[in-house]
Amino acid sequence: MRTVLVLAVILATPHVAVLAHHSFAAEYDSEKPVTVAGTVTKVEWMNPHIYVTLDVKGADGRVAQWRLEGYPPNMLVRQGWKKDVTLKPGTEVTVTGWRSRMDPTHGAGRQVTFADGTKLWMGPPAGTGGL
Amino acid sequence: MPAGIDAQAPRAIPRAADGKPDLSGVWLGGGFGLLLGEQEAAAIRKADVAANRPVFRQEPPPYTPEAAKRRQYYLDRRGVDDPMAKCLLSGVPRITVRPLPFEIIQLRDRVIILYEVHHAFRIIPTDGRPHPDDHEPSYLGDSVARWEGDTLVVDVVGFNTNTWLAGVGTIHSEKLRVTERYTRDTFDTIVYDVTMEDPEVFTKPWKQQAILRLMPGDRIREYECIENNEDIQRWEKLLQVDPSLKAPATKP
Repeated sequence: MRTVLVLAVILATPHVAVLAHHSFAAEYDSEKPVTVAGTVTKVEWMNPHIYVTLDVKGADGRVAQWRLEGYPPNMLVRQGWKKDVTLKPGTEVTVTGWRSRMDPTHGAGRQVTFADGTKLWMGPPAGTGGL
Repeated sequence: MPAGIDAQAPRAIPRAADGKPDLSGVWLGGGFGLLLGEQEAAAIRKADVAANRPVFRQEPPPYTPEAAKRRQYYLDRRGVDDPMAKCLLSGVPRITVRPLPFEIIQLRDRVIILYEVHHAFRIIPTDGRPHPDDHEPSYLGDSVARWEGDTLVVDVVGFNTNTWLAGVGTIHSEKLRVTERYTRDTFDTIVYDVTMEDPEVFTKPWKQQAILRLMPGDRIREYECIENNEDIQRWEKLLQVDPSLKAPATKP
């Protein structure tokens, strides 16, 4: 548990926050923050990033499929995430993050808020060199 | 807690049988490994000052004009050429300041560092031996170390040129020499001072600093970078469609 706390502090500190293996700015635009709310349809629990796919209902009632990149599993596990438990198909979540420069329904996830109000970091902050 | 023990008293720095500080443990770096140029570095410094956090000593790399042009090409492309993004092994010091932990195992005559990222390891003799004379250029180079007081000083040479030193575009030549200084200043932290010398690209040594934090109770896990690395394909597409990637098609 102490590890979780230490890591939580580190992840919340911009200068040591984390993207495991590339510059944030390569694909994502820190000037384009997004918040999407929807239902998880797929979780790819893989390195070097996880990918979470969401069905997001727009104001017009249409459903768009979003795909969000996050930390690698090791960094998530250290914060208390668990494969197939924390996030699985059917989970309702709201995710904040940033939009891809080339794909309007692809993004970098930063924080996940669950239906009960619990919040977990999903990926790194913007504009910090991915650190 | 037994009576008489002050919960607030700082824990003493552990020491090995020879009296040297014992660096053994699981540590996490972070600080300057992925920065996209001085603008991002300045933003981090500003945030640290505003939040009253310690500000690490960070200098822009003192590149020669020719090397600065080569670096600018990679900055203009926002890091899409990063060897690390292709899951290639990072060198020194970047592997230390990446955001995945590593374990230091300090033995009588050598220090072993096991990195979670890339399943990498370094075996660093501390018995006074010189660098081997048959070392071929490599990602992590060849390391030998000595103690200067309570600081472990690691001399690293013999690098290939497939790695970036720290942030985006931090190129170097095979003449690179890295000196790492590990000072366990508290039970929970190591001050990590790095000096990078390379007469082919720098006008003077480049000095950087990070704080390594102890991860009590943690362990090194598995991180197989290439498992599902979509970035390689995604960024090929990005280079085709993103008009903000204005760099010339050929490297300077």
